[in-house]
Amino acid sequence: MTDYKYIGKRSVRIDGLAKVTCTAQYTDDLEFGPNLLHIAVLSSPYAHARILSIDTSEAESIPGVKAVISGRDFSQKFGLYLKDHSIFPADRVRYVGEQVAAVVATSEKIAKTAIKKIKVDYEPLQNVQCALDAIKKDAILIHPDLGNYEVVPWLYPQAGTNIGHIRKIRKGNIEKAFAEADYILEDQYHVPHVVHAPLENHIAVALYDYEGRLTMWNSTQSPHTQRNILASCLKIPHKNVRIIAPYVGGGFGGKAGISMEVIAAVAALKVQGHYVKLRWNRKEEFENSSQRQELFAKIKMGVKKDGTIVALRHKLFWDVGSSAEYGSNVVNATGFSAIGPYNIPNVHIDSYAIYTNRPPCGAYRGFGYSEFHFGLESHIDRIAKKLNIDAVEFRKKNAIKRGDKVAYGVEMGPTGLMECIEKVAKKIEWGKETKSDDPDKIRAKGFSIVWKAPAMPPNESSAAFLKFSEDGSINILVSGMELGQGYLTSMAKIAAEELSIPLEKIRVEHPDTDRNPYEWQTVASHTTWSSGNAVRKAAIEAKNRIFDTVSRALHYPKEALYLEDEKVKCKEDSKFELPLRDFVINGIQMKDGTFRGGPIMGTGIFMPEFSSAKVNPETGQGGYPNVHYTTGAGAVEIEIDKKTGRIKVLKMAEAFDGGKILNPELAEGQIIGGFMQGLGTALWEEVKFDENGKILNPNFTDYKIPTALETPDEMYPIFVEVPQPDGPYGARGIGEHTMIPVMPAVGNAIANGLGIRLKEVPFTPEKILDALEEKGK
Amino acid sequence: MSSFDYFSPKTLEEAVQLYNEHSASARLLLGGTDLVNMINDEMIKTNAVIDLKNIAYLKQLELKDNHLYIGADVTFTELIESDIIREKFPVIWESSRKVASMGIRNRATIVGNICSSVPSADSAPALLIRETIVRVMSVNGKREIDIADFFIGPRKNALKENEIVINLKIPVLNKSFGGSYVKMGRYKGEDLAQVGVATLVTEDLQYRIAYCAVSPKPIRIKKAEQLLNGREFSVEFLKDVDTEIMNAISPIGDIRASKSYREKMSSVLLEKSLIASYSRLKGNKPEYGKELL
Repeated sequence: MTDYKYIGKRSVRIDGLAKVTCTAQYTDDLEFGPNLLHIAVLSSPYAHARILSIDTSEAESIPGVKAVISGRDFSQKFGLYLKDHSIFPADRVRYVGEQVAAVVATSEKIAKTAIKKIKVDYEPLQNVQCALDAIKKDAILIHPDLGNYEVVPWLYPQAGTNIGHIRKIRKGNIEKAFAEADYILEDQYHVPHVVHAPLENHIAVALYDYEGRLTMWNSTQSPHTQRNILASCLKIPHKNVRIIAPYVGGGFGGKAGISMEVIAAVAALKVQGHYVKLRWNRKEEFENSSQRQELFAKIKMGVKKDGTIVALRHKLFWDVGSSAEYGSNVVNATGFSAIGPYNIPNVHIDSYAIYTNRPPCGAYRGFGYSEFHFGLESHIDRIAKKLNIDAVEFRKKNAIKRGDKVAYGVEMGPTGLMECIEKVAKKIEWGKETKSDDPDKIRAKGFSIVWKAPAMPPNESSAAFLKFSEDGSINILVSGMELGQGYLTSMAKIAAEELSIPLEKIRVEHPDTDRNPYEWQTVASHTTWSSGNAVRKAAIEAKNRIFDTVSRALHYPKEALYLEDEKVKCKEDSKFELPLRDFVINGIQMKDGTFRGGPIMGTGIFMPEFSSAKVNPETGQGGYPNVHYTTGAGAVEIEIDKKTGRIKVLKMAEAFDGGKILNPELAEGQIIGGFMQGLGTALWEEVKFDENGKILNPNFTDYKIPTALETPDEMYPIFVEVPQPDGPYGARGIGEHTMIPVMPAVGNAIANGLGIRLKEVPFTPEKILDALEEKGK
Repeated sequence: MSSFDYFSPKTLEEAVQLYNEHSASARLLLGGTDLVNMINDEMIKTNAVIDLKNIAYLKQLELKDNHLYIGADVTFTELIESDIIREKFPVIWESSRKVASMGIRNRATIVGNICSSVPSADSAPALLIRETIVRVMSVNGKREIDIADFFIGPRKNALKENEIVINLKIPVLNKSFGGSYVKMGRYKGEDLAQVGVATLVTEDLQYRIAYCAVSPKPIRIKKAEQLLNGREFSVEFLKDVDTEIMNAISPIGDIRASKSYREKMSSVLLEKSLIASYSRLKGNKPEYGKELL
């Protein structure tokens, strides 16, 4: 194994000091002077209604109001993959909370007062609140113009229906396999909508200046993608759109792509020369950023007596809400991967994006994998039990291995899945029973295994620019976002390793699309891999320039030079050492007084050139849609109070194959954070709607995200390192994956402890008691 | 958010005078953890906010003449950090620790909690079982209200329009006892009670039982207490006690819990609370403050 100096070593995050001392600036911390204008947004009270007229005259007459905007001014549609989302709807609203109009005023108070003076005449339409209703033949159409929307070539909106996309997989002979199976289990599972709940709500500041430049300061995961969407939607040259992205106080996918930022952008166009600010409150954050898709999954699985899985039919009915502009790719990605981390020869998958009159849905940590793993991993446990095979053994028997064919026919890459399973089973003491002293309390364990691939267009890419200063310190310019996951530290470590420079002499800059090179988005757990590769290439390029300079000036053979402790050294001359700070800007002076060299810098780009989304739409075969899979396993030990139905997690263990863990401390943080986020969705979180599409719990009083008090007493993050051949030092992503095992592991533990199977999350105490009562009958 | 006048009186006399002048829509400010949110969310409109935090008298927390006095401006954190509360009023101590989160407890006051008079007020059951007197003042003078008569309905109490609660007066129990407060929220972190129950058992086997969140107002259930009075505690008595509890409570079903779950938990929590209280009376564990769910 290579001995690294920085990679894989524990170190404090480089943004830690700024964050704990409150000098880290978030968008709302930035000052824009006394002339800053404020935006308030009028939202729809209806889930589905025609807009007959909008009268803004009274709002416009209020002193301090600078502009009132609505679908009359900006009705353009935008979207990442499918352009189905209006900046302001011109003709109809599709969910409660949809932005109908906005006021720009000299104060927040005036803007909010003026909003109430806008008169909108609506004609309510029938609204659809459930995906299973929306796909019925007679359902009212939410996007009657679906057939006319712009869409990427690998998505298939079904005009004349409420289906935004279908991803189909056909592999092997499913009917024959079911006919030959010894046991078949068929059932349905349900995962409701949840929200990202970042502690920093969405916020955007925009300026459209008299040079025709649109500059924005946004809390975002996607500065370049936002620039691209805004430039093409508003017909402004890309060079004239600039997105600056300060620190982000929580993203989880909710700040991927674009949402409310479009409102701030068009407001700025209306009041040229003024800064405008839009900041969601918590209720708006629930109603009008994005949510996680709701899933109704129908699973039919066939197995042989010995436990070999022979067939899987997986139908995924996703409620993508009123817009599938981003969520359609969740549907697509999970369609390709809904076999889970198993080797299954015969597969039939249909993954549907279904419109309803609920808020738009999009990326959420796990990108749909948490939702389908819940059903699949519950199903696996039930089948293992039926065959009287231990749940862990059953998984080991069927776990996918390197070289097995995944659902779309490509060979599985290197994976440490088996080692993850074994390590988690050992740590959770699988098979060993424990008892509570309290007779009301039952202890039980649950297990699950997972996989996930980055869901990206095949031509996603990352770029990096690295430059030296006189003292031998460096600045790295990249456009990935630090979301708490440790991106800045990882990138610094890669440069440190390549250039032998200590972390304290490296700065990694936040994105500014004018200055920092391209990054697709900080999503898909792909930045360590993708942006990491770009940074590594930039560092190697800079290193080559260093050696080139030294070789030209001092005539050492280039291939004999190496870097150590911020110095250039030579394998052939042990006495030679030249500190980087002596020449990385000013060059090396020759005997005649002239200089060689000049400022050292490096650039690097990365694109997975082997990836392709071109597949047969009827079978999903023929392309290379996913670059790789990260695999892992998770388990919990829980204690259930039979009298109250409450669940306490006593212990958790999760293992992931990160290929190469660049920074163990922050990677462990990902496992603990991801586990807790997963636990939230397993036990408490659910957006509740009334029959008219109004959210009943758009606040933290009634939408419960876990607090520090809910953390288990014992938590064991474990890493396995089977290198990713094209990853930096072998690394692949683990960020999202860490929350995927939790829902099924907890559900399986409940089943093991109480003999009841809950097929719907969250596992509330009431559901536990109801199921116990049902079982007792 | 509408505009309002802000007053910051230095004396009680000045405060009651101001409140009397503006009473119709004036609001009193102490911790502000309820009031400020309601103003921001436009749930209430007010033309005058009277800030009572500068009246030194309201910071009183002392034992005097065999009574504990808790001033209106005493926060939950101050109660939790008080040795008097911890030693002599352990159920108030235990329930104070269950209120909201640390940040809220640092500002919120126990008097504010009862003045909000929400059915789920965490401090109410503990105050009910200690037979607290609520002392109020207005331009017409002072009067005392038994806490059992203080709550009237959701967000309604016995205060007249111009009355200010100045402190709580709680008799010291001159005999040994065990007590407990058991709160069921959706999780351990900050939450409103779905069901809360406080019980007390004295050395002469007198029982006291009070609930929050299971009827329009926090209630004490004397009929249930009478079934236990004079008897060494045994879970066998609970069946009869339960009948009285079910007669007395009338929980609603809402987004936080169904009616039937609240009913079931009213029994389950009572059992847990009585077991803990009786055990504490006998000098046994669980210690006060220990998780009872």
